[in-house]
Amino acid sequence: MQPASSSSRSTSLKRGIGRAFTYATVGAWSLFTVFFVVWIVIASLKKTRDLFSEPWSLPLKPVWGNYVKTWVSSHFGDYFLNSLWVVSISVCMLLVVCVPAAYVLARARFRGREALANFFILGMGVPIPLLFVPLVVIMTTLRMGDSLSGLSVVYVALSVPFTIYVLMGFFASLPGEIESAAIIDGCSDFQTFWHVMMPLAMPGIATVAILNFVGLWNEYQLSLVLINSPENRTLSLGIYSLISSMQYSGGDWPGLFAGITIVMVPTIIMFVAMSERMISGITMGGVK
Amino acid sequence: MVISFLAPALLLYLGLLVFPSLQAFYISLFKTSGFSDTMQWVGLDNYIALWNDKVFWLSLLNMVLILVVGGACVFGLAFVFTMLLSSGLWGKKLFRALIFMPNVIAVTAITTFWSFVFMPRYGLLTNVLKSVGLDSLASVSWTAPENVFWSMLVGLVWISSGFFTILILAGADKVPTDMFEAARLEGASQLQIFRFITVPMIWDVIVITMVLWCIQAIKIMEFPYAFGGPNISQDVYTPAIYLYIMGFGQRDPVYALGYATAIGVAMFAVTIAAVLAMRACLKREPLEF
Repeated sequence: MQPASSSSRSTSLKRGIGRAFTYATVGAWSLFTVFFVVWIVIASLKKTRDLFSEPWSLPLKPVWGNYVKTWVSSHFGDYFLNSLWVVSISVCMLLVVCVPAAYVLARARFRGREALANFFILGMGVPIPLLFVPLVVIMTTLRMGDSLSGLSVVYVALSVPFTIYVLMGFFASLPGEIESAAIIDGCSDFQTFWHVMMPLAMPGIATVAILNFVGLWNEYQLSLVLINSPENRTLSLGIYSLISSMQYSGGDWPGLFAGITIVMVPTIIMFVAMSERMISGITMGGVK
Repeated sequence: MVISFLAPALLLYLGLLVFPSLQAFYISLFKTSGFSDTMQWVGLDNYIALWNDKVFWLSLLNMVLILVVGGACVFGLAFVFTMLLSSGLWGKKLFRALIFMPNVIAVTAITTFWSFVFMPRYGLLTNVLKSVGLDSLASVSWTAPENVFWSMLVGLVWISSGFFTILILAGADKVPTDMFEAARLEGASQLQIFRFITVPMIWDVIVITMVLWCIQAIKIMEFPYAFGGPNISQDVYTPAIYLYIMGFGQRDPVYALGYATAIGVAMFAVTIAAVLAMRACLKREPLEF
């Protein structure tokens, strides 16, 4: 991007220093993120004593037993399955509920469409802690308190505003000619949606699915409020309970870091595979 | 078709988001522990008690510090990263992904890491400071009552700055490149370009992100709560944490559900006021390009 014209020596030197500073700053910050992940994984393979005496050394004899202990005795295997179950079910239900609604809100013509769309989007401004007590009351009344199915219903309902918002953006950006062509060719409304518009919006639907999967996988406050029984814990709650128990049983930090690795790995893999898509999905929501 | 497509989403949204929000206002006028069927009408007593509750004011102060001090750091970093990343450097997408990455990792994982960093005597930070010979700093207790809030804020800023960087950067990417080209040819520095071209051009994006930060900061719970650990100190309380403690407590639950909900209503009111104030302060004529 350097202009080939009159750049005297001093300005090019300045540019060079600026360049170096840019790479140093951005590079250092980025490296810290990598360090964060790598250090945790390394820490999870050490003995407790070594972790404290030599926090920077590499585990030459990796202690895989930390994982066995966390997975079995600390029940992280069960928590992992709980998380996987709740999050998968929630994301599936969320798509079934939100895709048709977003399609109609973005493309149908009826009175009050914009008002209704705004009404949905307003939900993003409601602070979730405001709902803690009412949700516990409602869920207990519905006999769904302290259950994974109850938690997933709440997850779906509370993810509706954001999901509809992002999906509406995708549906609105599709060209209208294809829709018209389908209608002229005699497709019913439903056929137009199912066979024509849905396939076109697939990238958007996939993006929303991933964003919600990651968001719910990491979700912590709602599960904290709605789940009491140890056997219904999700991974985040499992980690919190492990930290609480460490106060009494001395610090099994490597076991804790093993648990953290188990929580981190799925979302990091998703992010590495689809970071572009996730970032574009989030920014599309915030920046039109 | 319109009705059948909208009905499921609308029902869930009304039933489990809109209705509980309204119900919260109602519950906050009662004294109840939720387990007996009797809800005792106390009118505005919960709010009067809140007004005189020192812990609540402490949690509000923490919230304001997160909002203002944390916000200044988050947006400062986000602006710096946007400026550096939009200067046409190699590997922009890679850096952007790595800066954002903390946002895809579970909060509980991140807080545990930071707890280990700030741990007294054995922590990574103390370890680093010792190795470079800053023993006076190494002996500081980062989790002591006067420091624990700021230690927590460091981790929070680390995550949030990545989130707001990608939003502001996405706005900057929409600015026509020939503007930057022209400015560069005229010999403008990176800083000047950012200050006089990027910022005015993406002003609407900056307003949206600041409003978003307000909403997030006021309701924040997960990070400070997990960072505080099982014996959380009041120095890292936010209104949302105090709400949770008053409602469901920790070892010995309080179950002051009416009182807890009143805190939620206060948070909601503060959110609305803050968003309106932000929008009023930051209003400018939109630029066409």
